[in-house]
Amino acid sequence: MPRLPDRLRYWFLVLPALAIMIVFYIWPLLGIWQISFTEPEAGVANYTRMFDSSAVTTSFIITFRIAIQTTIGCLILGYIVAYVISNFARRAKPLMIALVLLPFWVSVLIRSFSWIVLLGRSGIVNDSLIGAGLIDSPLRLMHNEFGVVLAMIHVMLPFAVLPMMANMRGISGAYVDAARGLGASEFTAFRKVYFPQTMPGVMSGALLVFVLSLGFYITPALLGGGRVLMISEYITYQIQEFLNWGLGSALSVALLVATAIVILIAARFVNLRSALLERGS
Amino acid sequence: MTDFNDTTDHEAKADLIEIAAYRYKEGLLTRRGFVAAMMALGALPALSGKAMAQAKEIVVVNWGGEASEVLQKVMADTYTAETGIPVIVDGSGPSGGKIRAMVESGAVVWDLCDSGMGTAIILEQQGVIQPINYDIVKRSDVLEQAAYKSAVGNYVYSYVLATNPKMLGGNVPQTWEDVWNVKDFPGMRTFRKSVRGMLESATMAQGVPMEEVYQVLDTEDGIDAAIDKFRQIRDHIIVWGSGSDSQNLFLQEEVSIGNIWSTRAHLLKDQMDEESFSASFDGGVLAPGMWVVPNNNPAGSDEVMKFIAHTQKPELQVQWLELIGSGPANPAAAPLVPEHLQKWNPTSPENMAKQIFYNDEWYGKNQVAAEEKYIDALIN
Repeated sequence: MPRLPDRLRYWFLVLPALAIMIVFYIWPLLGIWQISFTEPEAGVANYTRMFDSSAVTTSFIITFRIAIQTTIGCLILGYIVAYVISNFARRAKPLMIALVLLPFWVSVLIRSFSWIVLLGRSGIVNDSLIGAGLIDSPLRLMHNEFGVVLAMIHVMLPFAVLPMMANMRGISGAYVDAARGLGASEFTAFRKVYFPQTMPGVMSGALLVFVLSLGFYITPALLGGGRVLMISEYITYQIQEFLNWGLGSALSVALLVATAIVILIAARFVNLRSALLERGS
Repeated sequence: MTDFNDTTDHEAKADLIEIAAYRYKEGLLTRRGFVAAMMALGALPALSGKAMAQAKEIVVVNWGGEASEVLQKVMADTYTAETGIPVIVDGSGPSGGKIRAMVESGAVVWDLCDSGMGTAIILEQQGVIQPINYDIVKRSDVLEQAAYKSAVGNYVYSYVLATNPKMLGGNVPQTWEDVWNVKDFPGMRTFRKSVRGMLESATMAQGVPMEEVYQVLDTEDGIDAAIDKFRQIRDHIIVWGSGSDSQNLFLQEEVSIGNIWSTRAHLLKDQMDEESFSASFDGGVLAPGMWVVPNNNPAGSDEVMKFIAHTQKPELQVQWLELIGSGPANPAAAPLVPEHLQKWNPTSPENMAKQIFYNDEWYGKNQVAAEEKYIDALIN
C-alpha cells in the first residue's frame, strides 16, 4: 500500500475537526457578524452608534480595566502558588495540585454566589469585623468593582497557576544552584536566573486570564450591582431586552477586534510562540 | 424580528412563575396545583389538537406558575361549574410574536391571552386581535384606563416605594423626593435595571405633580432631567434585574429603600417583621395586564367574551389579590377586599388616587433611547 505523503496525512487527520469547527463555530459566528451590518438596515450604522454612545465606551473601559486588575491579581497570587508547589512541596504536591484544580468542578455561578454570602452587608466578613470591634458599620465589599475583581480573581486563578506550574516544572534547579555556587544571594539568583526562565509561563498565564476575563458575564452581573457593566452583559442586554441584534453583534465584533489588538501589541513585546506553545521545555 | 418593537413586560409575567415556586415551598400552594401549573408550561402541543377538535372548549393562555394555578381554580373552574363549558389554562406564555404568528399562519389554538398594554397596542395596529364586544364585557366592570378597543384589563400590579424602617432608624421616606435625599435617609436604594416605572419616580422627585409626569417626560429635556436624577445618587444604587432580585436585596438588608413591584412587596410583608418592611403606593405607577382575543379563535367570539365577563366578577378578582398580590381590574372589587389586605391593594380607591397609570404609548416611542441613557447614567 502506497504511503500517503506526510503533508496529506496531516490534513486527513485535521479535516474532521476542522469541518466541525467551520460548521458549528465559524459559520454561525460569521452569521452573527453579518447581522451587525444588516440589521435593522444595511450599512455601518450600528458601528457609528456604538462609537457615539458613551455608555458603550464606558462599558469597554470597565471591561478592560477589570480584566487588567484580574490578570495582575491572578499573576501575583498564582506565581506564589506555582512557585511553592514546584519548588517546595514534596509529598503534599499532589494534594496541592488537586486543590488548585478543585474549583474547576464547581460552577462559576456557585462560586459567585458564595462571594455574596461572604461579602454581603450582613455577610460573614462584615459580621466578624464588626464582632471583633474593628469597624462600626458594614463595609461595602460588593455591588462594586472591588467585589467583582475579588471574585473574578478567585475564578481565574487556576488558569494562571497551571501554565506557570507547567513552565516551572521544566526549569532545572541546576542553574539556580550554579548561581548560588558563584556567590549570588538567594534573591539575586531568583531574580536574575530563575525568574527570567519563568517568563513564558507568566505570559501564557497572563494572556489566558486576560482574554477569558474580557468575556466574563455571570460574576459582574451578580456582584456588580448594575454599576459594573461589562461588555458581554451589555450585549445580552441589547439582544434579550431590546431584540437589538444589530448593535449586539456589532459589540461582539468590537470586543473580538479589541482583544486581537491587545494580543498583537503583546506580541511586539513577548515571544508569543514560546509563551503559548512551548511551556517549559 | 426587529420591526416588532415589543415593550411588554415579560419579566413581570415570568416573575409570577417564581412566586408560585416560592409559595409552593412555603406550603401555600398544593403540590397538585403546582405540578399542574408547571406541566402547563410544556403542554401546548398536546393541548392544541384537543382544542381544535372541541370547539366548545375555551383555552386561556397566560404566563405560567401560580398565575396559571390561580386562574384555573378561581376563574376557569368556576366558569365550568356555572356553564358546563370546559376552560383550560395553558401557561406557555402568549408573547405578541406567537399570537401574530398563530393568526397569520391560520392555526389559531388559543381563545384568550394574557397580554400587556404595549403588546396589545401593537397587535391591535397589526389587526390580529378581535375588538372587545362591550355588549357582553361590561365596560363599567374595568378601570377606564384599561378598556381598549381590542384589549381589556385583567389584573393590575404597580411599582411602589418599599422601605426598611429599621435600617433607617424609623425615619421613613414619604415621597420620591425623600428617596433622593441621601443625607437624611441613608443606605442603598434599589431601582429596576430598566427605565420602566423608574423615570416616573425620578420625575416626581423633581417636584413634578403626578398628573404631569408623562407630559414632562414627553420632551427630551424631561427625559434627560429624570436620567440626571439617577446620575446624582448612583453611588447609592444597586439595580434589580428580576423580581426575586428585588426581594433578596430587602431580605438580606442590602438596601434600605427601593422601587419594586407590588407583588413582591406583598410577599415581603409576610417574610419580614412589621418594623423592617413597609411599602407605600404614594407616587406609584400602575401597570395592567390585558386580555386579548386572537382573530378566528376556535371557541368563537361570543363564547370567549362571556368568559371575560365572568373574570370581571369582583369576588373572583378579590381572590386573585389574596392569592397572588395582583390588584383587581374591576373597581367594584375594592370594597370586598378583606380589611387586612386593603392597604396592599394597588387598585383600592385610596391607593389609586396616589398613583399614575403606566403610559405604554410613551414607552413604545421612548423606551429604547431612554434605556441607553439610563445605563450611561449608572455606569459613566
